[in-house]
Amino acid sequence: MTNNYHTILLIDDDIDLLEQNKILLEKKGYKIYTAESSEYGLKLFNDIKPDAVIVDLIMEERDSGFVLCYRIKKTDHGKNIPVFILTSATYDTGFKFSATTEEEKEWIKCDGVLNKPVSVDELQAKLDNYKN
Amino acid sequence: MNTENPTILIIDDEKGLREGSKRLLMNEGYIVDTAENGATGILLVKDNEYDLVIIDLKMPDIDGLDVLTEIKRLRPNSVCFIATAYASYETAVESTRLGAYSYIPKPFTPEELIFNLEKGLKHRQLLLEAERLKREREESLLEVAHEKSRLKTIIESISSGVLLVNTGGEVVYYNHATLNKLAIDDLQIGQYSLDKLPDGLTDIVTRMLSEKKTVNKSFTTQYEINNGDMYIDATCSPVPQHDGTVAGVVIVLKNITGFKKIEKIKNQFVSMVAHELKTPLAAVLGYIRIMQDESIHISESQQDEFLTRSRSRLNSLLDLVNDLLDISRMEEKKVGREIEELDIKEIIRNTIKFLEFEIAKSKLLVNINFPDQLPVIKADRNEIIRVFTNIISNAIKYNKEKGFIDIDCSENGNYLTIKVSDSGIGMQPEEKEKLFQEFFRAKNKYTREITGTGLGLSIVKKIIESYHGKVEVESVFEKGSTFIVHLPINK
Repeated sequence: MTNNYHTILLIDDDIDLLEQNKILLEKKGYKIYTAESSEYGLKLFNDIKPDAVIVDLIMEERDSGFVLCYRIKKTDHGKNIPVFILTSATYDTGFKFSATTEEEKEWIKCDGVLNKPVSVDELQAKLDNYKN
Repeated sequence: MNTENPTILIIDDEKGLREGSKRLLMNEGYIVDTAENGATGILLVKDNEYDLVIIDLKMPDIDGLDVLTEIKRLRPNSVCFIATAYASYETAVESTRLGAYSYIPKPFTPEELIFNLEKGLKHRQLLLEAERLKREREESLLEVAHEKSRLKTIIESISSGVLLVNTGGEVVYYNHATLNKLAIDDLQIGQYSLDKLPDGLTDIVTRMLSEKKTVNKSFTTQYEINNGDMYIDATCSPVPQHDGTVAGVVIVLKNITGFKKIEKIKNQFVSMVAHELKTPLAAVLGYIRIMQDESIHISESQQDEFLTRSRSRLNSLLDLVNDLLDISRMEEKKVGREIEELDIKEIIRNTIKFLEFEIAKSKLLVNINFPDQLPVIKADRNEIIRVFTNIISNAIKYNKEKGFIDIDCSENGNYLTIKVSDSGIGMQPEEKEKLFQEFFRAKNKYTREITGTGLGLSIVKKIIESYHGKVEVESVFEKGSTFIVHLPINK
């Protein structure tokens, strides 16, 4: 089922959501790594070279997720793997973005936006889509 | 004119006639002046307005017709008679041409004289009436002109734009404020203007102008200038003709930028609150979902942990709701304040006592350094307790184990200054800037385990400022922070 994506790195400053997403995704057979900050997330990314990354948007700063995506996508490994932003900000704060328009793709270096709470089916669909 | 006692001047070089006429007319109720020559007569006319003047045609100094001309120039409404023994048709015509009312041939009988004078008095009344009407008309014209310019001044002074267009869409009237509310430099009376209005406004005006009958209803639209530099509220009302058809539309343009900005801040605050409320709920829901999912196996100790975590998230949610309620009460000034004299020493000692458990848990040392004599402050006890509870509990939460908290108090001019220093994690300069903002919480490797609503210090600031005090912070990252509160002393 998860031949292409064995390991996923989750980065979120909400330790409860991190824990829950870890449990839900592990159930689907993924190997999950977690990080509670952008800084540690980037370090872990470079260490474990995961098959996919899921980043929370609002962490230390309101746009931490965008910055982290940019940094990951700048690495050689990051270029070739899917990096998703996971957030509820698009609904809650009127912070509107989808990373689908050409303009947004210019400045949001992610491969898709997932809404909280994470839906494993939605995530799998996005991963399959990325592969194609 | 005095109708009871008309005034009359008799100018004649013949003494007998002068005095004879004077006696006669005084008996008839006239007030009579006499002059023995033209020059004296003219001088009298300069000083008095007579109802009637009788001028002898032949006098030794000035010719009667010249006297007449001068008198008519000075007093156009005085009724003048020419009297002479040398009556001729030509002089009669000439004298009436020069303004004489009538011509009295000498010698005349008393009856003839009085008959003529009475006719003259009637004429005098007509002249005065005409004069009065003329003056009234001039005054009312002047008033209308005044009214117009007053109205113009009023409309020009209104800070809102006022623009009147006719059915052809041409400018009939506008005040100066219209220009910047439409972001244009110039507008001419008679100029077609609908293409100068923002689209939404043009649509409303066009629709109103096309109506057959004026409907007594205004329409409003809002638009922005230069991408939000200025927000304008435009109200359009039809202007009716006498028959009820549309004569034009008057547009009032109001600057609502300030209002829009407040609305925006309010909306941002509401969405931030929603996000802050949703996050802990989502965490708790997530745990419940996992615990109820039979396909996921979790151990008993995991389940205990999930419940403990859920409880802690719900507790902080409750704190958040309470803080929000406090803020909203403060903003609406509904707080039932009980202002009393407060001993700040006592308040701080009680706060320390209240937080004793947390202080002991972190093994902190608290030093209180107060002078013996301190002035009292006047404030609401609960609010001041709230201020120091928030500040001191931050000094505990963000401290290091076995660290210290120093609390100093001093009198500083008109202020009581309380300093709360800790040996905690401190702040980065950019964190310090945002410290008093709602929902701001420093996020770094030291703060991960610390809970809070992000509202505590914004509440502190609101309370202190409501007493015209001030709160400041000094901080060195990884060394500690000092919060300084200045409260005015009521002397």
